[in-house]
Amino acid sequence: MDFFSIGLTLACVSAAGGALWRVRTWFLRGKAFAKGGNTGPGVFRRFVGGLADVILLRRTLRDGPARWTGHMLLVLGFLPLIFLHAMDDVVTRPIFSAYEPTLDPWQFLRNLFGLISLTGLAILAMHRITRLKHESIAQDWALLAVIGGVLVSGFFLESFKIMSPGDFTRMTDDYFPEAESEELLALKTYWARENGVRFTIFLPTAPEITELGAQLHEDRCAGCHAPTATAFVSRSMTALVPSSMNIADQGRTVLWYAHVALAFIALGLLPWGKFFHPVATAANLLVRGGSRTSSAGNSSFSSGLALDACTRCGQCSLHCSVAPIHKVLGNRDILPMDKLLDLRQHLDGSLSPTGTAALVEGSHICTECLRCTQVCSAGIDLQDLWATSKKVLTEAGRAGVDGEIRKSTAAEWARDFSSRNLGRIGSTGAGLADRAESFWGCVQCTTCTGVCPVVAVSEDPSRDLDLAPQQIMNLLRMGLKAQTLGARMVWSCTTCYKCQEHCPQGVPVADILYELRQLGADNLRKKEGRA
Amino acid sequence: MKYAYFPGCKIAHHLPAHGKSVEAVCAHLGLELHKPEFSCCGYPVRQESRDASVYSALRSLALCARLGLELMTPCKCCFGNFRHALHQVGHDEKLKLRMKDLLADEGLDFPETTRVRHFLQVLDDNRSLVEDAVRRPQKGLKVACHYGCHALRPENITHFDDPFAPTIFERLVALTGASALPWDLSLECCGYPLRGRDETISGLLAARKMAGAKASGADVLATACTYCQLQFGGENHHPDQSIPAVLFSQILGLALGLEPKRLGIEPGEAWVRLAV
Repeated sequence: MDFFSIGLTLACVSAAGGALWRVRTWFLRGKAFAKGGNTGPGVFRRFVGGLADVILLRRTLRDGPARWTGHMLLVLGFLPLIFLHAMDDVVTRPIFSAYEPTLDPWQFLRNLFGLISLTGLAILAMHRITRLKHESIAQDWALLAVIGGVLVSGFFLESFKIMSPGDFTRMTDDYFPEAESEELLALKTYWARENGVRFTIFLPTAPEITELGAQLHEDRCAGCHAPTATAFVSRSMTALVPSSMNIADQGRTVLWYAHVALAFIALGLLPWGKFFHPVATAANLLVRGGSRTSSAGNSSFSSGLALDACTRCGQCSLHCSVAPIHKVLGNRDILPMDKLLDLRQHLDGSLSPTGTAALVEGSHICTECLRCTQVCSAGIDLQDLWATSKKVLTEAGRAGVDGEIRKSTAAEWARDFSSRNLGRIGSTGAGLADRAESFWGCVQCTTCTGVCPVVAVSEDPSRDLDLAPQQIMNLLRMGLKAQTLGARMVWSCTTCYKCQEHCPQGVPVADILYELRQLGADNLRKKEGRA
Repeated sequence: MKYAYFPGCKIAHHLPAHGKSVEAVCAHLGLELHKPEFSCCGYPVRQESRDASVYSALRSLALCARLGLELMTPCKCCFGNFRHALHQVGHDEKLKLRMKDLLADEGLDFPETTRVRHFLQVLDDNRSLVEDAVRRPQKGLKVACHYGCHALRPENITHFDDPFAPTIFERLVALTGASALPWDLSLECCGYPLRGRDETISGLLAARKMAGAKASGADVLATACTYCQLQFGGENHHPDQSIPAVLFSQILGLALGLEPKRLGIEPGEAWVRLAV
């Protein structure tokens, strides 16, 4: 077994095995989300809609022409290279009997498709650098680098092959073994002048020799070799190597290994992260059938597939309604693209406790505004994933700040909070609860409690709510903030502001209750290691 | 008149009818709505972080300032939080500096003068326009107006109307030809802020309010806030103990002679028959 077959075998095993593993997760992960079957438009319309999204990349166009153009060029250039060039022995040769990689149109097309791909890739890379630098992680750059590496190494390889005198000799040994030395010299002269081979020997310029060279080329070579000038990119690139440098033979070998190895790496990495998006995203677009809204009836399979279809294009995070909240709180799980990553890990059971706390916070801060679902290039029904995952997390006892507080009694929280330095909202906020002036005028008239609708719907407020509003004000006045922080009255305040509006002494009761909740949330964040 | 239209997060998925009817009414009245891509108003995160809530609000206001437009929202909670955020930065110099830094990061200027208006206020500002445009007065429709807390209180911050005896909603209902009935609980909370936090109390608040609206003899409970409508609408209430909750923008739309479909009214919604 040589390098090529070992590499190809390993890459294929990795690609196929990994792909099976990925597809397996489509069936497993969605189980947490299992619901009814698919709903929506008829099968045919959905198929056409999905296919149009896959082929025309319609959803990518929404964001303006740059990313769409880049992606379209890359796909239109790279797919023919995979089938016509990389798989030529199994595709091109059986279809076109006269196929030779060094004949036109193949030689020309290879360069054309390579150039188209590279242009597309450059546009995508520029887009990521200018718009998505902060949102990008290693695999985003890795995919660009590997594809770019395959393309660039391919061009260099062809370029060095053109220059290589060793390749020339290998060819004449195989296909022109009976050549006289004078004939060889004439042929070399022709190939050096016309096709850019760089020989280190002195070559004559006499017209009769050149003519003989042309004649021999026509007889012996032209059947399989178009002029290398039609490999317009690679041939031009020979100018990058100074003529004084005699490295074509060695370089050609090194580049062959580089090009083939990079192609195997690309194939082997196919099931890794976003490298799989040509498969997973296309499948998801087909399943979504062109829909841009959210449907509550997604099957567990389509949820599992949706979880896996992200291309990390960043549109959701760039357009996220709660992005300003992420900017202040800094939790990356507030933004959809990273939340999806952590949600997958959570479903696989591999998310750390801190990561889970971040995911819970992110999933509760989401306002379900539908925008990520509308802008998603991969057509993922994110809205449904967020709504369902929030429900699943809540059922598993992770209901955010509010849920955590309600797990313990007011007395337990009073003990817990008394032992901590609570800090004051003053450092991040107004500090109403810490200022004596806030309660200066309070005469404990119980107006706040009397007008409170939450108190009104309770049969026994001291049992149901721990403390009445005026009692909270009294405790705060005495500096007993920790005693109030776990009270159900604080956390079940409906924020109607009647207490504050009706207070004859102008105590900002509702604002103070808001502040206590903010302080509680702040302390829970610290407790979970996310301050 | 031209406004920067701030629908708020819940309309797109949870209550498209609100957005549809508000936009249809505005288009019909010649009130031009500009729709930049806004972010969250900051209200939902106000329970968890003051800075995050205030910054979210200011960012959208800064976008309005850049456009030189007033912000108009059909949601009372969005309205309230915008007013609240402006009040906070107006009374806390350190907070204002922090907010200015965050805005500058995104290339935005602090919105010193941006005005925030609720949909009802905009209609009230253009009363004569509305009056002239009414084609099909909703005579016979008895309406219980539900005010919505976050626009009404605290009045010193929201400047919406008299917090103890507001009249703006009744004035506007009168323009549509319907009659607004007085009832005891019109200024009480709908209970939505406790959804997902304390479902028991949330449900009790809504049920108490709905019972009061039914007892008043009204045909429908009118809302002018996305959250209130979500709380009263849908399948949340037993038909025997409730009356339909209807968006005021839909009642007005019908009075203007707009097609029910354009207002997001589903075929077969019983209250529409009462209205004609």
